[in-house]
Amino acid sequence: MQLEYFLLLAAALFCIGIYGLVTSRNAIRVLMSIELLLNAVNLNLLAFSNYLDPAGIKGQVFGVFVITIAAAESAVGLAIVLSIYRNRNTVDMEQFNLLKW
Amino acid sequence: MDFTTLSAQLNASTIIPEGIIVLTILVILVGDLILGRSSSVQWSPYVAIAGLLSSVASLFFQWDVADPIAFLGGFNSDALSVLFRGIIALSSAVTVLMSARYVEQAGTALAEFLAIMLTATVGAMFLSGANELVMIFVALETLSISSYLLTGYMKRDPRSNEAALKYLLIGAASSAIFLYGSSLLYGLSSGETRLGAIAASISSVEDLGLIIALVFVIAGIAFKIAAVPFHQWTPDVYEGSPTPVVAFLSVGSKAAGFALAIRLLVTAFPLVADQWQFVLSALAILSMVLGNVVALAQTSMKRMLAYSSIGQAGFVMIGLVLGTEAGYASMLFYLLVYLFMNLGGFTCIILFSLNTGTDEISEYSGLYQKDPLITLALSICLLSLGGIPPLAGFFGKIYLFWAGWQAGAYGLVIIGLLTSVVSIYYYIRVVKMMVVKEPHEMSDAVKNYPQTRWNLPGMRPIQVAIVFTLVTTSLAGILSNPLFTLANNSVSRTEMLRAAIAPTPTETVSLDTTAQ
Repeated sequence: MQLEYFLLLAAALFCIGIYGLVTSRNAIRVLMSIELLLNAVNLNLLAFSNYLDPAGIKGQVFGVFVITIAAAESAVGLAIVLSIYRNRNTVDMEQFNLLKW
Repeated sequence: MDFTTLSAQLNASTIIPEGIIVLTILVILVGDLILGRSSSVQWSPYVAIAGLLSSVASLFFQWDVADPIAFLGGFNSDALSVLFRGIIALSSAVTVLMSARYVEQAGTALAEFLAIMLTATVGAMFLSGANELVMIFVALETLSISSYLLTGYMKRDPRSNEAALKYLLIGAASSAIFLYGSSLLYGLSSGETRLGAIAASISSVEDLGLIIALVFVIAGIAFKIAAVPFHQWTPDVYEGSPTPVVAFLSVGSKAAGFALAIRLLVTAFPLVADQWQFVLSALAILSMVLGNVVALAQTSMKRMLAYSSIGQAGFVMIGLVLGTEAGYASMLFYLLVYLFMNLGGFTCIILFSLNTGTDEISEYSGLYQKDPLITLALSICLLSLGGIPPLAGFFGKIYLFWAGWQAGAYGLVIIGLLTSVVSIYYYIRVVKMMVVKEPHEMSDAVKNYPQTRWNLPGMRPIQVAIVFTLVTTSLAGILSNPLFTLANNSVSRTEMLRAAIAPTPTETVSLDTTAQ
């Protein structure tokens, strides 16, 4: 296996994440797309760590940090979605239009 | 190995200021738990301010440390980071002063608000000194996640919810993009995460990968400092979130973003310095033009200040892209005076909205007859933001433009001058609304304006904040020398900037020899 395959897979995953971010109307789906983005980064880090830095494995440590913080971020995200659902009875992004310029 | 040798080896004394704030957070949380909410309202703001001020005091002792590198290269406590950490802690202290009454009147818990605010401060302070990719990411997310929570703190208010959701989604996406860029940096440097080591190991390669990493990283940073075209979240979040949070986001969080920008771009991307300076000049021009022009059309005070802060970030970025000693120093000086004038403006807006419950600009008309203190302080702060002499903002802008002119960035300086003329117009509009109107033109909110009751709990801190920012904004202009020296010393003592600036004098010397 070559490093390039992993990087291409990660890049593809990242693009899918960006696509989901731009097109989704459901707030939960947007949160899932953000998880995709972070997991693409994780793949990148682990691939680099395995191929280029097998002794230091700093990339794997970095990956653990990314996973932890992604969990914290989605916890906060779900909490915010929950409180917005209580107030507005919807999680549709198109309905959130109280703030506009 | 015992604790003292370990901490000596890690040079752990460099993070004492952050340690003090972490202790303060624990005291507030545990004290709130034990003593109950009704009593914590009384003491928690004072504990928070005491913690922040002692953190600023302990930063004084960090100014002259012999060895600023701590935690095996993960944290750099050089003079630049010390100054930025001071700016952040001070802005957080003023924010705590103005938030006590606001949070209480909104009927939400104060101690938790302060704990989250201090966590954001710790994150921002670590970010100003972070010297390693993992550390940068963790500090950035500590700041960001706390900011999302603060933005959505008024959980019964749908606008606050909506602002929090927007901020979270855009913020998380931008930090993921930033992270993708830093993973590419890790790969390009074949497995280095310290910024200095990254620059050293990619000194031979100059390829597309580095440019892609640079673009991704800049997108992440530009989101944090709200530069156009990464600014879309700013007006919405500023309008929806509680006003003290907006004050913190527009000063503390922005200063942390600039600290990150300087350290990351100067240390890790010296190879593509021309490219990042070009990209950031474009962002600066867009921010100055769009921020100041769109601010003209705003009717809500908070939205107007949101766009004005985008424009102000554009001015600060002029100093960032010059790459000269005067450029960095002028940027620091401007951030210092911006801290006082912007927070002063926000304190006045908070007091006005506490008394009347509105943020519309038209509701301010005729205010000087009812409340001369707000009128005076808000006018001084807004005029200073616009750059009217002899206030602090004028000297900040002059220094920035002078540094730009010296470095030959004529286009940036001319656009800066033109847009600051535009900005004076919308700042003056508010001042005129408050001062010039006849009694019969008073708005309804001002007609029913209540007598400010300073004896209510949490009102004294607001008064202190107004008077403090008013005095500093008016005096920092005339007596700007200490701040000026502080900014200059901080740049000249910072090794990383010295190394980046060094090529210029040698170049001029070599030019002179060829001329002879």
